[in-house]
Amino acid sequence: MSGNYRKWPIILFLGVLTAPLILMYIYLFVDTITNTPPGSMIPNEFTLEHWRLLTETIPGRPSIWLATWNTFVFATATTAIVLAVSSSAGYALSRLQLPARSFFLGGIMVLHAFPTVTLLIAIFLILQMLGLYNSLIGVILVKSALELPFGIWIMKGFYDTVPWEIEMAGIQDGATRFQVWTKLVLPQVKPAILALGIFSFLAGWSEFVLPLVLAPDNKVQVLSVYLAALIADDQNFDMALFKSVGVFYVIPVIILFVFFQNRLMNIYSGGTKG
Amino acid sequence: MRILLDKFTKNFGDLTVIDEMDLEVHDGEMVALLGGSGCGKSTTLFAICGIHKVNGGRILFGDRDVTNITSQERNVGVVFQSFALYPHMDVAHNIGFPLKLRKETSTEIQRKVDEIAEMVHIGPLLKRRPGELSGGQQQRVALARALIRRPDVLLLDEPLANLDATLRLEMRSEIRRIQRETGITAVLVTHDQVEAMSMCDRIAIMDAGKILQITEPSDMYNNPVSDYVAGFLGSPPISFLTGIIQNGSFIEPATGAKIPVRKAIAGSHAGREVRVGIRPEYYQPDKGVMIKGTVSMIEAQGRETLYVVTLPDGNILRSIQGSHSPVKIGDAVNWGIDAEHMLVFDKDGLLI
Amino acid sequence: MGNSKHLGLYLLAPAGIFVILFFLAPVILTGIFGFTNMSTATGITGGSYMVSESSMRPLRSHFGEEALADQLMQRVYTIDEAGLQAAAEAGGDAAAIRELEARFLGQSFDRRRDVEVAIKSLNARPSSTRAIKLISAEFERSVVNTRFDTPEEMLAAIAGFGIVLNNAQTEALVDVAYTGWTFTTQNFKTMLELPDTKKTLINTLFYVFATLILFNTGFALVLSISTHYMPSRPAGFFRSIWLLPRVTPPVLYVLMWKWLAWDTGFLSVILEPLGFAPRNWMLDTPANAWTFIILINGIVGASMGMLIFSSAIKAIPPALFHASEVDGATRRQQIWHIILPQLRWPILFITIYQTLSLLTSFEYILLATDGGPGGATEVWALSTYLKALSNYGGALQYGYGAALSLVLVVIGISVSLIYLKLFDFKNLTAPPKIE
Repeated sequence: MSGNYRKWPIILFLGVLTAPLILMYIYLFVDTITNTPPGSMIPNEFTLEHWRLLTETIPGRPSIWLATWNTFVFATATTAIVLAVSSSAGYALSRLQLPARSFFLGGIMVLHAFPTVTLLIAIFLILQMLGLYNSLIGVILVKSALELPFGIWIMKGFYDTVPWEIEMAGIQDGATRFQVWTKLVLPQVKPAILALGIFSFLAGWSEFVLPLVLAPDNKVQVLSVYLAALIADDQNFDMALFKSVGVFYVIPVIILFVFFQNRLMNIYSGGTKG
Repeated sequence: MRILLDKFTKNFGDLTVIDEMDLEVHDGEMVALLGGSGCGKSTTLFAICGIHKVNGGRILFGDRDVTNITSQERNVGVVFQSFALYPHMDVAHNIGFPLKLRKETSTEIQRKVDEIAEMVHIGPLLKRRPGELSGGQQQRVALARALIRRPDVLLLDEPLANLDATLRLEMRSEIRRIQRETGITAVLVTHDQVEAMSMCDRIAIMDAGKILQITEPSDMYNNPVSDYVAGFLGSPPISFLTGIIQNGSFIEPATGAKIPVRKAIAGSHAGREVRVGIRPEYYQPDKGVMIKGTVSMIEAQGRETLYVVTLPDGNILRSIQGSHSPVKIGDAVNWGIDAEHMLVFDKDGLLI
Repeated sequence: MGNSKHLGLYLLAPAGIFVILFFLAPVILTGIFGFTNMSTATGITGGSYMVSESSMRPLRSHFGEEALADQLMQRVYTIDEAGLQAAAEAGGDAAAIRELEARFLGQSFDRRRDVEVAIKSLNARPSSTRAIKLISAEFERSVVNTRFDTPEEMLAAIAGFGIVLNNAQTEALVDVAYTGWTFTTQNFKTMLELPDTKKTLINTLFYVFATLILFNTGFALVLSISTHYMPSRPAGFFRSIWLLPRVTPPVLYVLMWKWLAWDTGFLSVILEPLGFAPRNWMLDTPANAWTFIILINGIVGASMGMLIFSSAIKAIPPALFHASEVDGATRRQQIWHIILPQLRWPILFITIYQTLSLLTSFEYILLATDGGPGGATEVWALSTYLKALSNYGGALQYGYGAALSLVLVVIGISVSLIYLKLFDFKNLTAPPKIE
């Protein structure tokens, strides 16, 4: 950072560009606790009526608490599977002798960039055949599978940065490769596991298309599908209600984002080394 | 062109790094800013080239006040420690870059690039990328780029730090040659006293954001203003002993040896504690005031040999000797200090 | 666990199972489904055999068996035990049924009217036409619209009507009467013939390249370069703000845009005093729909480029910036000569990566415009989804959808391979250092 260029014109320029986005987010929150007269954008009264959804179930819809629970189960289970499977597979691909290792790596890269929409039809039919259609288990398995290539690739990248000397020393001290992995290497990549965990949780929490296609039923509905169904219902158009559901839905995301912003930035860009 | 720093002050946040520093570099002169890391020498250099803005005082090139103008308008050439060659351009484009920015014609640029490449001896390398050059070649390219638009001032930031030992020796004289040939006013930032002494007309030694002394290299070596300066210059370094002045002599505390001091000092500091500095070349086997000790280390340096002698109280003296004597580690020796060249510093470390 | 070769396989096995179940199998199945006419009408598993209006159509047109088709479609009215019993159960007049049995049992009529004439001729005939029709309906006998599990059962039933088939006719009939899915290349022919395909293709190309150039690389460069020229606090603030859309769940993010565009939303309210009638700005015209689609996707897409370009700029040695400044570069010259050349690889990377993800993403479009207005913003991936998995269009055409998505599979694999080639795959797969 040198003093040769003025900074305020740049800050002003980007500030003007950013203002609409900030405004959209501000209105998202403000509209849930106020009423605004028609034809105006300035709220004129404070109200909590838009939050009635927390205590009343809208007819024909599941309770928002059930949807929240489903979303939580979906996101947590997905995260657990992704972490367990990709931390072991990532280690194998990063450090162990494997037959056809580079084939596996190439395969992971291709899958990583693979269009999921192309799999969706076949997965839909597979789940129907397996009897897992309209069940949380089915959609959890599918979401985990689709997140795996990314997770494995990230974990492999992080394992790659652990110094070989640590493993060599461990082996000289008499540990098996399995012990080296669990006792010496895994503690080194804790930050990576945390980052990937947060990322997977957010991905699960936000997922829309998979539950929509594979588990649309009221009993297993997640918040994204719940909200989309509310919005799509032409009979009951109530923007403030939608926004309240949205804010309720986004709270965990915002909390995680505020606390783990730097880790997330890392993983959003780091998963894909250029 | 003369460079003048007048009460130059620089803060980083709340921290004042340099406080009201004055420095004048004469036209055509090469001055070294010498000091340890964090002494403010690079900050000073970055202020001169305009990358850092100053928080107080003025910077003048000749009579032109450049304090508040940007780097782009200052017309300084800088050689950076990492050379900062643009990796995506070949050598010719690197060197010609400053002219290209000024929108000179390409034939003009080419002519000047060839001319300067000739001077720094990199004619055959013009089509190469920086990645394909050795450290010394990169150094020459960086110099050529700094010089091509005939800057008023040349600034060199630790230019030899990234080179290996033999190249360092070669480039030392090369940089000096080129600076002499162009007659440009230059400032060299370095932490290496040998570099500063061998390349520059004058040395400004800095510590904690202040210039302690600015003078010619030999003068600084022989008449350092303080024990800090004395300790910074010279390799192997000077040794210090602490003791009291009595009856016209410095009393060495461990052996009780009496080393005579100048009359003036004997008078003004009688009975007071002082610190004396003895350079290795003035502690020799056969002359001066004899002091007994034990040889604790011997370092063969090729042409010369360095002996470290530990006195009974644990203090040490260093001796550098041209001829190899049969002394071994652990031997007791009785060598002499040349009282004439002993430096005496007061309690605050200032030369008396 | 001692042998590291086996350890590797154990550790890889769970991932392998997932990959086989949810990547390999689906890809292979997609390949197979693409060559079938599978839909909700045919069912996913096997089908049955049925003579129906629609199955007779190919018999007439393709096999030229007009007469046979007419014969099969014919209904016959036979007074039999089963019919009499059914009529009684349906609540028909008991006396009339008894008399019918006595006088007409075993007789057949070609038309329903003839049956009704017979019923009217009875002494105990029902008084109302409704009651007559109630009885007559039960005697209709036909193979039409009856499901048979095997071809043999169907042929036996047809033989029961006295219709005699030769071998060629039998074969043709079994073929057309099958209601389950069959293998066909029709999907690809349809794809080439339908004008919608071309429109969707053009939409897709426009969407991908406009979003890519304007936002995923263009605006991402603007964001990363402008934040580079800021002190770290505002830079961090702006980066967080522009990352928010990526973190916000898509349903909510699109809802915010809908609020902006709705006919009682932000744009309508602030533009009304300026003389613009309130309207749904997002679905108003194709041009507006595209503007919103590109903004919605682009702002999410730009954040990834922003992060990657920012870290690439951060990786440029500060001395290069200093050197160019003392060399006299203005900000524009510094961006052009120092920053952009250093960003060549990241830009290429983002371009390839985002081309692929834009090509296959449809979530935001589905939520925002659902392809509207009038299919103006329907892109290839969305079209795949709508054809195969959305209820709005009637039957779900799994086969045709799979064929459409096969095109994306081919593109996906080829782009990935290019990507591997460009980004020095060997380097990423250096062999392990412990044997």
